[in-house]
Amino acid sequence: MKIKKSLLIQILAFVIILTIISILINNLLINLARSQMTLNFNWLNTTAGFALSEYSLPYTPNDSYAWAILVAWINSLKVILASLFLSTLFGVLAISARLSGNSLLKFLSNFYVAFVRQTPLLLQLLFWYFVAFLSLPESSILPPNLFVQLTNNGIHTLGIKLSAEFSALLIGLSIFTGASIAEVLRGGINSVSRGQWEAYRSLGIKEIQGLCKVIFPQALPAIIPGLTSQYLNLAKNSTLAIAIGYADIYAVSDTTITQTGRAIEGFIILLLSFLLLNLIISNAMNIVNRIVSDKKYKL
Amino acid sequence: MRVYIRWLQNMKLKRSNILNYIITLLLATLIVSILVQFVNWFFLEANWNVISQNFPIFFLGLYPKDQYWRPLIWIILIILSLVLRIKKRSNKRVQKISIFLSVLIIPLGIFLLGGGLGLTSIPSREWGGLILTLLLTLCSGVLALPLGIILALGRHSNLYFINRISRLYIEFMRALPLIAVLFFGQLLIPLFLPIGLEINRFLRAVIAFSFFTSAYIAEDVRGGLQSIPPTQIESASALGLSQRQIIQFVLLPQALRTAIPSLTNQAVGLFQNTSLMAILGLMELLGISRSILANPNFIGNYLEVYVFIAIIYWLIGTVIALFARNIEHQLNSFK
Repeated sequence: MKIKKSLLIQILAFVIILTIISILINNLLINLARSQMTLNFNWLNTTAGFALSEYSLPYTPNDSYAWAILVAWINSLKVILASLFLSTLFGVLAISARLSGNSLLKFLSNFYVAFVRQTPLLLQLLFWYFVAFLSLPESSILPPNLFVQLTNNGIHTLGIKLSAEFSALLIGLSIFTGASIAEVLRGGINSVSRGQWEAYRSLGIKEIQGLCKVIFPQALPAIIPGLTSQYLNLAKNSTLAIAIGYADIYAVSDTTITQTGRAIEGFIILLLSFLLLNLIISNAMNIVNRIVSDKKYKL
Repeated sequence: MRVYIRWLQNMKLKRSNILNYIITLLLATLIVSILVQFVNWFFLEANWNVISQNFPIFFLGLYPKDQYWRPLIWIILIILSLVLRIKKRSNKRVQKISIFLSVLIIPLGIFLLGGGLGLTSIPSREWGGLILTLLLTLCSGVLALPLGIILALGRHSNLYFINRISRLYIEFMRALPLIAVLFFGQLLIPLFLPIGLEINRFLRAVIAFSFFTSAYIAEDVRGGLQSIPPTQIESASALGLSQRQIIQFVLLPQALRTAIPSLTNQAVGLFQNTSLMAILGLMELLGISRSILANPNFIGNYLEVYVFIAIIYWLIGTVIALFARNIEHQLNSFK
């Protein structure tokens, strides 16, 4: 009797959802027919005609839409990977400051986390681009023989030129995500029981060594899932690049859709490219997870 | 002075190494020099004309000047309902008024801003500023919460098909960046509607926001649902409660109470995320600031405007968080 009832509910839900979807698709087809458009991807091979502010593969406006989208995808990947490392660094620095026992450092770390998390990321990105980078003079403000040079064209370091858009996005994203990563690390470290701290202290192990060899390995299982979701958030947040004119995958899809009017196809392409990014990040984190949950660290 | 000495002694007891003193000293110099520079900029260099001349615009956008009293009344009502909710309620009537107000706050807001029924009607494209940010947040939140709860129940249920559908929706929405959801909400919603039915930019944004946020709310509520031990469900059904009663009286109240801290984070996040509509041409707080900055009279006054609206975002985010903590305390004392 019970099985029959649950089956009935499911069939009902299935029918309702199917009806809604078919009505929506029907509307879509009618609307498309009215504007004399059909779904196809042939336009991907036609000339894009717009320039990209930066590219890692050779690109000219004469290249196809497909190529432009690929170049933009690589741009996205570049900024995501770079901010991934920098944000982890910021997170680790913030949590070390908190654990350092120095009240001033602790206060600074708390202030950083609280302030960054209470203002919108978009506002922070606009700040880094318009206030921090574009108001710099054309010649570097740092001494000329230093390995790092800061100008309104971005950061030049060790022979690498980072554009102002890229640098602003990198710094804004990393500072924002770093605050969340610090919270994840704090949660993980709090999950280690009090006794473990007392144990290594009473054994006379140095504070730093105890943190690295006793506390941190035990905190890792609690940290990795949170870290993964922060990295995925970072990838999603990188699409705000459009606000400061960095040619990432979303900005280029936006331009493509406005030029061709192909909203549905553009949506599918963006969806697939994000699926790919997410898969890369979560698989990489799975590998990390497997390494750290290796028996070397297990108790 | 005594506090300072005690603090120094504490530091000494904790770690009496020289390195710590050097770090403290260096940091203190750094902080003081940054503070001095900031104060110098704030009081001497900054050109606050851009704020003072556009003050009402930040809050109300391009709303007609002779109708300013309407959004003002709405803001006062919001503050009133918050205050009534925070107080330890002894009076039954006050309790009733506060519930009545919080239920009515959104319809009232739309009526007061949009007009109709005797008030001059004002199209939604003239709404703007902080008031639009608040309305966007409230409408999307109120739509997203029930949707998120339904999705969470669906994902938690044993029914194969319902479970799969909810899961698919949640995973799909969580894989997409918000800006993409909003952009395609603006573009695609009209394509899926029957001919003749058109909805405005504001409503499309509300729909996109609530679809997006509901997936995140669903995961938070699911976390709450999972924290309830299965013995409770077993004992409830042993007492003869029906499936619906178990959900209504046993599962949901506990799950929602556990989920309050993460739901608060979602609310603050939603409030901050409404700023993305600035990219898509809605004149909410950040959007109106960008158009003020585009005015040739105020060119280059980026920092003043950004500091000003950052303070507003920070203030309201803090108010939301404090309010939620208060509600949590009330619920816990109720327990």
